[in-house]
Formats: sequence, C-alpha cells, structure tokens
Amino acid sequence: MRWPVLARRDQVLRGGQPLAFGVGLVVALAVGVFLLLGSGHDPLRVYARMFDASLGDPRAWSVTLNRAVPLGLAGLAVAVAGSMGLWNIGAEGQIMAGAMGAAWVARIGGGWPGPVLVTAMLAAAVVGGGLLALGPAIARARIGVNEIITTLMLNEVAIRLVQWLVHGRWKDPGSHNFPLAPMLPDNGRLPTLFERAHLGVVLAGIVIALFGLAVSRTAWGYELRVAGSSGATARYAGISLKRKILTVMVLSGGVAGFAGGVELSGNADRITEGLSNGFGFAGIIVAALALMRPSGVAAVALLFGAVQIGGQSIQTMGVSSSVSTILQALILFGAIAAGVLGRYRIQMVAGDTVETPSTGVES
Amino acid sequence: MTEASLIGLLEATVSFGALLYLAALGEMITEKAGILNLGVEGMMAIGAVTGFVVALQTGNPWVALVAAIAAGALIGLLHGLFTVVLGAEQVVSGLSLAILGIGLAAYMGRGSVGQPAGAELVPVDWGPLSDIPWAGPVLFQQSPLVYMAVLAGIAAWFVLGRTRLGLAVRAAGESAPTTDAAGHSVAGLRLGAVATGGALAGASGAYLTLSITPQWTEGVVAGRGWIAVALVIFGAWRSGRVALGALLFGLTLALKTRLQTFGVDFSPILLSMLPYLLTVGVLVAISIRSRNRPSPAPAALGIAYRREER
Repeated sequence: MRWPVLARRDQVLRGGQPLAFGVGLVVALAVGVFLLLGSGHDPLRVYARMFDASLGDPRAWSVTLNRAVPLGLAGLAVAVAGSMGLWNIGAEGQIMAGAMGAAWVARIGGGWPGPVLVTAMLAAAVVGGGLLALGPAIARARIGVNEIITTLMLNEVAIRLVQWLVHGRWKDPGSHNFPLAPMLPDNGRLPTLFERAHLGVVLAGIVIALFGLAVSRTAWGYELRVAGSSGATARYAGISLKRKILTVMVLSGGVAGFAGGVELSGNADRITEGLSNGFGFAGIIVAALALMRPSGVAAVALLFGAVQIGGQSIQTMGVSSSVSTILQALILFGAIAAGVLGRYRIQMVAGDTVETPSTGVES
Repeated sequence: MTEASLIGLLEATVSFGALLYLAALGEMITEKAGILNLGVEGMMAIGAVTGFVVALQTGNPWVALVAAIAAGALIGLLHGLFTVVLGAEQVVSGLSLAILGIGLAAYMGRGSVGQPAGAELVPVDWGPLSDIPWAGPVLFQQSPLVYMAVLAGIAAWFVLGRTRLGLAVRAAGESAPTTDAAGHSVAGLRLGAVATGGALAGASGAYLTLSITPQWTEGVVAGRGWIAVALVIFGAWRSGRVALGALLFGLTLALKTRLQTFGVDFSPILLSMLPYLLTVGVLVAISIRSRNRPSPAPAALGIAYRREER
C-alpha cells in the first residue's frame, strides 16, 4: 500500500506568493463557473460584466478603489499585528468603533470648517479603534489572555453598540421612527479625487506605505519581527515584549478604526450597524494572502475590492451576490493549497512506516 | 409577569440553549483534538440551508436533518483538509470557512427565500410527562433536537472522558508528537474531530430552519455561531459546564424578545452583548487562575503537526 505524503521541497518554487495568489484566483473563478452554470447564467458574460463594472473605466476604478480602502486598511491592521505573531480578529469591531468616534465628532462639529472637522473625525476614529483593541492588548500583554478570542468577541459588542446608539440616543428625530442616525453634515465628508474616488484612497495608500516602511526598514519593525518569530530571542535582545504587544495591538486597532472613519466620511451617508460589512473579516483574508506583509496588502485589497464591486454589479443580471462572497473565500483556499504545494511536493511512500520515537517538539 | 410568560421564557431558554449546545459541543470536540475552527457560523449556515432545502424537496424532516448533518461534516472537513493535511493557519482557514459557508448557504438558498417550510420537526410527545405543570412545557414538549443535544452531550462526556478513543483525541490536542509515538494517527483523530464538529454545527443549523424558525433567510444564524465558539471557553472545555453556559446564554437569547413584555426597561440590544462580554471575563479569569495551575485549554490547540517534520 502506498500513500501520498507531503515532503518538503529542497527549494521553494520560485514566484512564490504572487503565483499562489494567481492559482487561487484561477481556482476560484473555475469553481465560480460551476456555480454560475448551476444557477443558469453564462459565466463568460457574468465575468465580463464583473470586470467592466470594477476595472472597465475610470468610474469603475474609482468605485473599486473606494472599496479597496477599508479592505486594505483592515488588512494592514491584521498584518501589523501578524508581523509580530499576534492575531487581531477584531478589525470588524474596531472599524465600527472608529466610525462611532468619527460620527460622534461629526455630531458636535457641524459648524466647523470642513478640513478641521474631517481631521478631527479621522483622529477620533483612530482613537475609537485603538480603544477597542486596548482591552485585549492589556489582557494579552499583562496576563497572557489569548487575543484571538477577546478581539473576536468584541466585534459583536461593537456592532451592537452602534445598533444601540442608532436605535436610541443617535436616532434622527426626522427619520419617521426608523432607527437611523442623521445624515453626515456636508463639511464632514472627504473631498472627491475623481469620479467617485475620495481622498481616503490617498490617505490609505500613505498609511499602508508608512507601515510597510516601518515594519521592513526600521529598528522598531525589526524588533517586531524578531519578537514575532521568537519571544525568547527577543527577550535576550532586551526587547520588552509586553510593551511591544501593547503598542502593536493598539496601533492595529487604530488602523482599523481609521478605516471606519474613512469609510464613514468618504463613502457612507450616515453611521449604520452595517457600516463594516464584513470588511474586518475580509481584511484577515487580505492579510493572509499578503503573507502579513504590509507591502502586499494594497495589491490584494485592490483585487478584493474589484471582486466585491464586480459581485455587486452582477446582481442586476439576477446573479446572487453570494457568488462574490464565495469567490473571495475560494481565492484564499486556492492560494493556501498552491502555497503549500510550492513548498512541498507530493511523494508516494509505502504504508505502515516504522514508528520512530518522537522528539516531543511541536512543529 | 404571568405564569404563562415565565413558562414561555424557560421553554425558549431550553430551546435556544440546545441550539447553542449542539454547535458548542462540536467546537469543543474539535478543540479537544487541537484544532481551532472559527467557521462555526458558516457551518451552521450550511446546515440550516441544507435542512430547509432538503425538507422542501422530500417533505421529510428526518431526511433533511441527516442531510444537514452530512453537509456540516463535509464543510467541516474542508477546514480539516486545509489545517490538518496542508498545515494551513487555523485562524485564517476557519474564518474563511465562516465566510465561505455564509456565502455558499446564501447561494444554495437563493430560490427558497420566503417559501413555507417543506417539513418541520414536531415536538416529541412524552405522554403524561408532557402534561406536568411547568416541567411539561419546559422540558417535555421540545423539538427532538433538544433531546438529541442532551444525548450528544452525554455521549461526548463518555467518549472523551471514559474511552480509549477519547483519550487519544485529547492526547492529540495536548501533544501531537506523543500521540503519534503512541501509535495513533494524529491526522485521523483530528480529521474525525473536525468532521464531528461540523456535523454537530450542521445539526444546530438545521434546528433553526426545521424547528425554531421554519423558513430560510440569509442571516438566519445571526451570530449564534460566534456564541458557540465563546461557549467552549466559557465552559472551560468541559461538556457539563458548556451545557450550563449554553442555558445561560440561551436565557439571554430568550430574554431578548421578552424584556418588554416583562416590563423591564433595559435595552435588548445591550442584553445581547452579554454572552460576549461574559466570555471575555471568563477568559481573563482563566488566565489569572492558570498562573498557579494548568490552563483548561488543550495545550496543542492551534498548532499544526506535520508528521514528516518531527
């Protein structure tokens, strides 16, 4: 009896992650063909429409870029924590917390000049996101509480907090009893760049670039990566893990909060409980595909933005928007598989191999 | 507060408790074997839609339930394929599974939105027991899935704690290399646990669309999958404590729609935050206590094991 096992390649296949990413895309689109045929649609026409609506002309590009902003910033938030080996699963909630901070400033700053109000809103958004991450950060740094679960739990709390505000204190008296917050004042909106694209596209690009440089080119970033790969090494080198965990988690939350502020000010009419429509979770996929490197996040976010915007456009053809959701998850699964096959090869071995005593070391 | 409304509250508490317990038990078994599956929300969605669609097609709620369980196990095995066989990051694979499951469920159910249920699981008639005041409606007029949840809990407690198989599963979650050296297949144990977890999440999802709200809408799982993940921690990875937690969290779900009828002036939205906040609190408490004694979490939880690299 012979079994297939994964054996490590002597050399990692060249092309690496972009190649794996491409394979993931192809796998996803191939599965998508079956889904579309199954619902009686012409896959080629649907894909053509998706492409046109997301990347076909400047207007399409502007909408896609706008969508890439929260995805890229959420991805960056996850990647910043991830470069130290921490998991911030709470971007979804931190985006809401950021939007809450920005919306609160917009409520009191209706009479301020536009640039002042928008700047204050975005600053409040950073604080809001950072604050939501602060609890998990302290708990992880001080008593070693697993940050995966605490950040995940706080997502649900933040979403409900917005729901509560919108149903109560922040409800617009003129909304005819619908649980809706008032419209954002015009001076609280980010200026437009071209077509639909707003200034947030540039801001997000700058933030991503800055973090990319900080992580890959500074001593701070180096310490971060050392701490991420080996806590013991970091301690020997005199790096304070506790402080690092604290700053990185709060920064990560701040970046996600910033995404919420930009999304509110640039793209939404008002704060709603659906403002972060899965951006935080998609950000985890974005960061994973970018191998937790800020430099890769922008490119992946752009592609995910295109898939999401394209997915919305095909609803007019009667195609369920769920197809785009499925595609996003499949890109990741396809890329993971491709990534593994890039590092390993499938080898057939004879079954019932002799058991050798284990060293007791986890891989 | 009338007697009838109080009985209604307790009845709903047990019903929601069982819903949460099925999914949480599955996640607990998965984690006991060392695999964290954050995709419960998606697996429940798959179970919910499969149960509903198969009930529409066959008119038989039991066939629908079996199909939902099988679908849950299958989608769970996808997580197994990626984390156990390919060694992918468990957090990423699990969250992607959540997204994939929710999307796939929406796709599968796109023709069934708003349709009346093809079949429902009718409450079990326990004869004279069902007529007992209070205990009758609360305990003995429930959907069959409530009793299945109880049985599943007892079975999990027995198998995990009292059998060689359970010992091997727990060992795989504590130290994979040791388990391997003892002659067990770590991959087999873990895949089995992940599939069991998926099956139970599928059953939990089917409970939604075959009993609790017999219709299909896209957001039907409504965050209960995340509560199930929370419950495992809240119950410190023990079937009994997870059951108590499920009843407590079930009470908050049951109270949500009833606060006003009880004349309590407290926002149901704030109440619905409680399970998540309680879980954070318990997690912190566990961490503080485990400075002096071992944490109840499986030691190898979340750590991939590649046999050929030991």
